[in-house]
Amino acid sequence: MSGGNGNGRPEKLRGYSAWSLLRRGLTHEDWPRAWREHELRSSYDAVIIGGGVHGLATAYYLARDHGMRNIAVLEKAYVGGGGSGRNTAILRSNYLTPEGVRFYDRSVKLYEHLAADLNFNVMFSQRGHLTLAHNDASLRTMHWRTEVNKLQDVDSEVIGPDRIAELVPYLDVSDETRYPILGALYHPPGGIVRHDAVVWGYARGADVHGAHIHQQTEVTGIDVSGGRVTGVQTNRGRIATPVVLNATAGWSSLISDMAGVAMPVQTSPLQAAVTEPVRPFLDTVVVSGTLHVYVSQTDRGELVFGASVDPFASYSMRGSLEFTEGIAGHVLELMPALHRMRLLRQWSGLCDMTPDYSPIMGPTPVEGFYVDVGWGTYGFKAGPVSGEAMAACLATGKPPEIISSFGLDRFLSGRLVGEKGAAAVGH
Amino acid sequence: MSILPTTRRTATPTSQRLGHRAGEVIDRSRTVSFTWNGRPLSGHPGDTIASALAAAGERVLSRSYKYHRPRGLLTADYLDPGAFFQVGDEPNVRGAHRLLEAGMAVSSQNTWPSLRFDLKAANGLAGRFLATGFYYKTFIKPEPLWPLYEKVLRTFVHAGAITPDPGAAYYDKRHAHPDVVVAGGGPAGMAAAVAAARAGASVMLVEEDHQLGGHLRWGDGAALARLRALRAQVAAQPGIEVLTDAVVTGRFDDNWIPIVARSLPGITERLVKARAAVLVVAPGLIERPYVFAGNDLPGVMLSTAARRLVNLYAVRPGSRAVVMSANPEGDAAVADLEAAGVEVAAVLDARRQQGVARAHGRGGLRAVETTDGRRIEADLLVTATGWTAPTSLLNQSGDRPVYDQAAARFVPDPDRMPANVLAAGGIVGDGTVDQLVEQADAVGREAARRATGGSAAGTVPGLRPAPHPELFAAGTGGFVDLCEDVSAKDITTAVAEGYDSVELAKRYTTVTMGPTQGKLETVNAVALVAHATGRSIAETGTTTWRPVYAPVTLGALAGRPREPVRYSPMQPWHERHGATPLVAGQWIRPEHYGDPAAEVTAVRTAVGIIDVTPIGKLDLRGPDVAELLNLLYVNKWSKLGVGRVRYGVMCADDGVVLDDGVTGRLGEDHYLMSTTSSGAATVWEWVENWLQTAHPEWQVHVTPVTTAYASINIAGPRSRDLLSRLTDPEDVDLSADAFGYMNVRTGTVAGVADCVLWRIGFTGELSYEIHVPASYGLHAWERLVAEGADLGVRPFGVEAQRILRLEKGHAIVAQDTDGLTQGFSAALDGLIKLDKDDFVGLPELRWQQGRDSHPRLVGLQPLDGTVVPPEASQILRTDGSIAGRVTSSRMSPTLGRAIGLAQIDPELAEVGTRVTVRLPDGRDVAAEVTGLVHVDPEGERQRV
Repeated sequence: MSGGNGNGRPEKLRGYSAWSLLRRGLTHEDWPRAWREHELRSSYDAVIIGGGVHGLATAYYLARDHGMRNIAVLEKAYVGGGGSGRNTAILRSNYLTPEGVRFYDRSVKLYEHLAADLNFNVMFSQRGHLTLAHNDASLRTMHWRTEVNKLQDVDSEVIGPDRIAELVPYLDVSDETRYPILGALYHPPGGIVRHDAVVWGYARGADVHGAHIHQQTEVTGIDVSGGRVTGVQTNRGRIATPVVLNATAGWSSLISDMAGVAMPVQTSPLQAAVTEPVRPFLDTVVVSGTLHVYVSQTDRGELVFGASVDPFASYSMRGSLEFTEGIAGHVLELMPALHRMRLLRQWSGLCDMTPDYSPIMGPTPVEGFYVDVGWGTYGFKAGPVSGEAMAACLATGKPPEIISSFGLDRFLSGRLVGEKGAAAVGH
Repeated sequence: MSILPTTRRTATPTSQRLGHRAGEVIDRSRTVSFTWNGRPLSGHPGDTIASALAAAGERVLSRSYKYHRPRGLLTADYLDPGAFFQVGDEPNVRGAHRLLEAGMAVSSQNTWPSLRFDLKAANGLAGRFLATGFYYKTFIKPEPLWPLYEKVLRTFVHAGAITPDPGAAYYDKRHAHPDVVVAGGGPAGMAAAVAAARAGASVMLVEEDHQLGGHLRWGDGAALARLRALRAQVAAQPGIEVLTDAVVTGRFDDNWIPIVARSLPGITERLVKARAAVLVVAPGLIERPYVFAGNDLPGVMLSTAARRLVNLYAVRPGSRAVVMSANPEGDAAVADLEAAGVEVAAVLDARRQQGVARAHGRGGLRAVETTDGRRIEADLLVTATGWTAPTSLLNQSGDRPVYDQAAARFVPDPDRMPANVLAAGGIVGDGTVDQLVEQADAVGREAARRATGGSAAGTVPGLRPAPHPELFAAGTGGFVDLCEDVSAKDITTAVAEGYDSVELAKRYTTVTMGPTQGKLETVNAVALVAHATGRSIAETGTTTWRPVYAPVTLGALAGRPREPVRYSPMQPWHERHGATPLVAGQWIRPEHYGDPAAEVTAVRTAVGIIDVTPIGKLDLRGPDVAELLNLLYVNKWSKLGVGRVRYGVMCADDGVVLDDGVTGRLGEDHYLMSTTSSGAATVWEWVENWLQTAHPEWQVHVTPVTTAYASINIAGPRSRDLLSRLTDPEDVDLSADAFGYMNVRTGTVAGVADCVLWRIGFTGELSYEIHVPASYGLHAWERLVAEGADLGVRPFGVEAQRILRLEKGHAIVAQDTDGLTQGFSAALDGLIKLDKDDFVGLPELRWQQGRDSHPRLVGLQPLDGTVVPPEASQILRTDGSIAGRVTSSRMSPTLGRAIGLAQIDPELAEVGTRVTVRLPDGRDVAAEVTGLVHVDPEGERQRV
C-alpha cells in the first residue's frame, strides 16, 4: 500500500497553527473555508457515497497518495452527520484475532499522528482504556487477549482491583457490589478523540488535495450496465463515473441494493447519552461488558455513555427510556458517587452488523462498485486505516493485504474473521 | 475583561428586598440562613437561592465558561445560565429554581481564587485569539506536548464538582396510568386539566415550577385573581393529581412519559413513569434573549426575569433601568419596575424600531447604548424581544415545528401530531388569558374524549400566534450562548469557515450544547446562521430537540433496585448449610459447601444433589417445534420420540458455538428446552428472533419457564435409590429398562405433581435432573436430603460440578469455546449433521470441515500431575509462537492429578503429543495431549 508519506511527496497541509491564530487574532482577518463548495460535475473518476470519516478519509488518501483528484464525496445531509457524529469516539486496538489486532493497531497509529498529518487538532486523548472483568470467564478472556496482544506488540495487561482503584478512584472495587470487579484489561494506548474534528480534518484535507465534497446530495440510484458501474443518480442530477464506493452506514445495504449487490448486513440502533459537565475526575475509558456500558469523560467535562446495540433490527434513531434507565443503573453500579450527575441528552446511531462482527471491504461482483460497510459498532476506530486501504483498493482495483480478509467473498467461502469476542461490547 | 474585583470595594451589597407584593411567594415571618462562598447570608422560605442572593444585593453570581466573564441573573428560572451553583457536594444546582434551605453551603463554580477575583478571566484578554474552534487549529505541534495542553484545557471545564463519597440520597420510581398527562401548569394547563377531569378522565398535571400558575403568578391584580380562581378549580376538581417541581422529560412511543418529580419529602428525585392515553403539551413560551454587545453583563435580564424578581420574590433587580420592549409583557415589566421604585430611564419600543445596540460596563451594567446613538446610564437592562415555543415533546411525538415569520417564532405543525398528543395554550398561539383558557378547555375536553375511548379524533381549536417583530441580534456582537460562551461572531466565523448548516455550526461552536440544551439559544443561533448564509430562517431549519427535555439525575433514572438478584427457592437452605455464594450472571449460587473435593467424591461414590435452577428452560408448544429445533440445533430432531431427551448444540450464522443443552419431548407437540444458565436470555431472544423474522409461519409458542421450575440434579451410583424413595413406580418407573438413559418422564416427586424428570449425565454418573414447580423446590430438596441420609447424600456446588464435568470431558460453552470457536473446534464432529437440509451455521461448518485447519478441543494432562496450569495459560510451539491455550484445568480428586481441556492447533492435537505450556508467571511446563474424557471414557457409569 502507498504509505502516508510515500514517494509522491504529497503537499503538506498547513494553515492552522498558534502563529496563524495569533496573526488572525491581531488582524481580525477571516479564516478561509475549511472545505469549499463546488458545482456538481457531470462526471468524476470516482464517486464516494457517504460523507463520514470513512468516505472522507478515502477521498483524502485517494487524492493525496494516488493522485486521483477528480473525485467526489456525496453526502445526503451534512458531513459527519451519521455514525461519525454519533459514536462515542473511543479508540483502541486490543482486539482478539491477529487480523483484527493488526488492522486496528494501524488505525491507532494513524490516529496518533493524525492531527499533524491533517494540520487539524483531532484531540486524540490517549488516556488509557479499561475493560472490567466481573467474573472468572471474562477475566480468563482478558488474560487471553493480553497474551495475543503482547505477541502483536500491542500494549495490554490484566490488572487487579488495587491498580484499577488507583486509575479510577471513583470505581467501586469492593466486593460489596452486585457484580464485584475482579480485574481489568488495561490498554494504555486506547482513548478518546474529538470525532467531529476527525471528520472535518479529513474533509479539509480532501478538499486541499482536490476532492469535491457535496453535502445535501443524496444518491437515489446507481447505474450498472453490462456488469459494471457507469454512474450514480442523485437528487441534484446524474454523475457518470466508472468507480463508486459505498462508504455509508445505517443504509449501506439499501445503497448496495441500488447496484444489485446484496449485503449480509442487519441494521440495529445503538444508543448513547451524555451528562452535564462536572470537573474532570475520570481519566480513562471504562468499559464493562457484563454491565453493557462504557463511560468516558470528555475534555468539556461531560460523561459520555454508550451501550450495546439494541436487541432488534431497526432503522429508527429514536432513543428509549429503557436505555437511559438501564445505563444510569449500570453506571451507578460501577461508580455510585455519580448519582447526582444529570443526564442531558440521549441519541442513537445505526449499526450495520455482519455475521462475524467484521467489516466488508473491497470489490463486489459489479465491476467498479466497491464497498466499505458493515462497520457495526467499531467503524469510527477504523476510519483512518479504512480510508488508507480503500483508497489503495479504488486506485488499483485490488484490496491491499491489510484488508484482504474482509472481502465480501468470505461469505461465499466461509473464511469469516470473527471478532465477536472482542467487539461485542468492547468499546 | 477585568480580572480585577468586579464590584468596587466600597460598594458593599445592600438589601434589595422590597415591601410586600401581592403575588409574593416568600414567607417573611421566617428567615433561612445559608452561606455564599463561605459568607453567611439569609433569605426567606420560598426564596430560591438566586432570589435570596439578589435580595442580598449580589449581582455577580458566576463566571462564564471560556472567558470567565462575570455573570448575573438572566432568566431567574430553572434555565438561568448565570445561576449554576455548587451546593455542598451537589454540582450544577439550578440556583434560580432550587428553593433555599437552611444551612445550604452555596458556592460559585470553577472560580479561582474567588468569584470576585478570578485569574482565568485573563482569558478574556486573549478572547480574540480564542475564537471558536481555536483548539482545532492549535496545539498540533509538537505532538508530544499535546497531552500537556490537554491537561490545561481540562482545567477550564465549567461545572461543579462531585466527590467520591457524596453521602446518602434516596431515589425511587413510580408507575402511573393516568388517562391524560398535562405537561405544564400555567393557565392553559390548569384549564385543560380541569376540563379533562370534568369529562371523566384521570389527569396528572405536571408543573416545573414550585407552584401552579405560569405567567399569571407574576402578573397584575387581574392576573392574580384569575390565578386564584383557576387554582381553586384545580383543587376542587376530583380526578386531578398535581405534581409541582416536576417536569415531563420526554415522550416515547405510545405516550410512555417519564416525569421527574423533585421536592418530595424524603426523596431526592423520583421518576414517575406514566403511560398516558393522551398527552397535552402546555408548556407556555420561553422568553428569548436578545444578542448584542454586552448582553451578558450582570444587570442585563429578560422581562420575565425582572417581573419574577419583583413580583414573586419582592426583589428590586436594579435602581435605574432601560427596558427594550417588543410586546405587552415588556410593557408590563415597565409598570412593575416603576411600582418597585426602579427608575425607568428609558423605554425602547422595538415595535417602533427603537432598540439596544450595546451594553457597557465592567463586571456589571453601567450604561446602555441605543440604536439611535444615545447613551443611557443604567444598572438594569430589561429585554422583551420575543418568545420561543418549547416544542421538544412535540418533536419527540413526530411533529416538526414550522417557522412563522410574522410571529417570529417556530410553531407546532398540528397536522403532524399523532392523535394521542395535543397542544394547548401559548405553545400553539397567543391570546388573552380568556382565550388561552378557552382553547385549553376545548383541548382538555377533547383529550378526555380521546382518552376514554371516544370516537374518531375531533378537531381542536387553534390559537393564532400574534404578530411580533423579528428580533434576534443587534448585529453588534454579544453572546448567543451564555452557557458555552459562544458569541455571535463565533457563529459568523463558523459559517464563513464552511460550517454553514445549523448542525455543523452547532458542533463547531458548541452553541446549544450546554446545560440549557438550546432552549434559550437555538432560535437565535438559527437566525444567525440564516443571516450569515443569506438563507431564510425557514430554509435554515432548526436542530433536533432530543430527549431528555430537562436533565435527570442518574439516581432517578436508576431508581432503587439497580440490579436484581436471582435466587433459587433453595437458596435459604444453602445459606443455612454453609454454602459459599458465587455470582453467576444474575444468579447467586452455591460455589461449594466447604469442601468441593469431598463433594466430588460423594458423587462418584454415593449420591450428590446440586441446585441447577438457573439452567435456562423454554417451554415449546406447537406442531412446528421439531422444525425449529432442526433449524437451530446442529443435530437432527425430526425423529425424537415422545419421552426422549436429546443433547443439542446451537451455532450462530458464523458457525460459532452459541449454546448447548438438552431438549425433551414431553408430548406430541410439547417440548422442554434447556439452555446454559448464562445463555438463557440469549437463547430465548435467538429463538424468538428466528421465529419472528425468518419463520413467522411456523406455529410455535415459546414460554420461558426458567424460574417456574426449581431444578435439581441427583447424581451418583445411589441416585436411583434416592429418587425412588420420592416417587411411585406406578407413576414414574425408575428402573433401567423403563426409564433409560436420555429419557424424560413427567410425574409426581415428593408428593409434588407436574414435575419433569430427565435422565442425563453431565457428571458422568447415573443421574436424574428433576424440574419441580418452583414453589415446591425447597420442599423437594429437603426431602432428598432427609431421605438420602443413609445413602450418603451430600449437596454439591458449582465448583464440584465443574470438576466432575471436566473429569468427564464435557466442554462448557463460553469457557472451552469462545467467540471464535466454530462447531468442529468444540469436538462436536459426531453431533454436527452436515447432511441436514439446513440449519443455522451449516455453510460455515461445511467450509470449516472442508478446510480441516481448525483448532481442536482436546484433553490435556501435565506430566507433573501436581501442577495445575491456570486457565488461559498459553500452549507454545517450539518457536515460541502460540499454538493454543488451556481452557479448563483442575486437580482431579478422582484421579489425584491435574487435568485440563485445551484449544490447540491441529498439528499438535494428536493424542499423545507433548506440548509446552507457558504459565502466566513465565514458567514452562510439559503436558501431554489426551482424549477429552479423563474419567470413565467408556461411559459405563452413567448407563447403569
